[in-house]
Amino acid sequence: MIGALETPSVNVPRSLGTIDLLLRDREVMLARIRAGTNLASLLKTMVTTIALTMAIVGAALGSYRGGVQIGYAAVKLPLVLLGTAALAAPALTAVGRAAGRRSRLVQDLALVMSALAFGALLLVAGTPLILLGRAIDLSYHQMILMTVSMFGIAGLSALVMIINAVAVESMRDGSRGWRTAVLGLCIVFVTVGGQLSWALRPYLVRPRTPDVPFVRAKEGSLFDAITGAVQSARGIYEREEAPVPESR
Amino acid sequence: MSSEAQALAPPVESRAIGMAFAALGPIAIGAIVAARAEAITPLLSAPAMLFGVTAATAPALYIALAATGDAPPISKVVRAFGIAFAAFGVALAGLILPAAFLAASSISPTTTYVVTTAALGVAGMLALLRLSRELAYPERGLGASLVFFVWAASTAGIAGRLWIDLLQELY
Repeated sequence: MIGALETPSVNVPRSLGTIDLLLRDREVMLARIRAGTNLASLLKTMVTTIALTMAIVGAALGSYRGGVQIGYAAVKLPLVLLGTAALAAPALTAVGRAAGRRSRLVQDLALVMSALAFGALLLVAGTPLILLGRAIDLSYHQMILMTVSMFGIAGLSALVMIINAVAVESMRDGSRGWRTAVLGLCIVFVTVGGQLSWALRPYLVRPRTPDVPFVRAKEGSLFDAITGAVQSARGIYEREEAPVPESR
Repeated sequence: MSSEAQALAPPVESRAIGMAFAALGPIAIGAIVAARAEAITPLLSAPAMLFGVTAATAPALYIALAATGDAPPISKVVRAFGIAFAAFGVALAGLILPAAFLAASSISPTTTYVVTTAALGVAGMLALLRLSRELAYPERGLGASLVFFVWAASTAGIAGRLWIDLLQELY
C-alpha cells in the first residue's frame, strides 16, 4: 500500500531540536520555559550554543588580523557573553521580585540564556559578512561599525524576546513590576557586559599590528575611559601630550 | 487586607529569605567598599546606617499617617515594612555580584563608590515603592500620599547623606 510506506527516520539530537525550536517557534519555547519543562537540559543546550556560536563569531573577528588573534578572540568572546549572563541574569529575578513580579530564578535564567542564544545564533548567521569585510579589505573603522551594527541587531532581538516573555507572563499571573525588572536587567547587563568586554579586549585588531596580547594590561574601567574621554572633549587633559611611538 | 494585596504579597518563606538578604546585603556592599578603601569601617557602617535611619524615621511615618486620618492598622504597617525590607534585600542580592565585579575590575576607587551607591540606591528606591504600594491598599488619600512622599524623601536624604559622608571620609 502506498499509504503504508515508511518515511525514513532521521535521528536528530534533542539539543538540535531545541535550537530549531528557538529559531522557528519561540512562543512554544517560551511556553516550555514558563511551564518549567526540562529546564536543566535547556540551560545546558543554551550555554553550549552560546559558547560555540560566539567562538565562531570571535574567530571570524580575529581573522581580520589573522594568526594567533583568531584563537584569542574565539576564546574571549564566549567568556564575555557567558560571564555577563551569569552576573546579570539574577538581576531580572531580584529586581522583579522587589518590584512585585512573581519570578523564579531558574526560569528567568533559562529565559535570559535562551534569548542570548537566539542573539548569538543571529550573530553567527552574520559571520559571512565579517568574512566578506575581510575579503574586500574594509577599513578597520568600517569593520568596527559593521560589527557594532551586527551586535546591536542581535542584542535588540534578544531583548525583544525577553520583553515579550516577561510581559506575557505578567499578564497571565496579574503581577506587576515586569518593566522595572527588564530595565534593571538591561542596566546591569550593559554595565557588566561593557566592563567585561573592555577588560578582555582586543577582539578586532588591525592587520598590521605586530604583536597582540591575549588581554591588555588593566588600565581602569570602561567608566574611567568614558570619564577621561568626556574630560578630554572639554579640553581637560591629564597628561601634557599624547604618547608618541618609539622610533625604530 | 484586600485580596489584591494578598495576591501580590510574597509568601512568608520567601519574605524570610528576603529579610536575611536585607540583613546581609548591606554588609556585603560595605565589604566591597572596605576592600577598596582598606578600612573596616564601611563593613559595620553600611548596615548600621540602613537599619538606624529606618528605625529612627519609621515611627514618624506612622504618626503622620495617623494624623491625616489615613493610617492603616499598626500590624499592617509592620507587615508593610517587613515586605519592603525583604524587597530591599532581594534587589540588593541581585546587584551585589555585578557591583563586586565592576569594583574589582577597575583601578579607580570612584568606580567602586559609584557602583555601590547605585546598588544601594536602586534597592532602596524599590523598597520605598514597595512600601508605598503595601501601605496604599485598598486606597490612599492625597494627604497620606504627600506624607509618604515627604517621609520617603527625608529618609532617603538622611541615609544618602550619611553614606556620602562615609565615602568622602574614605576617599
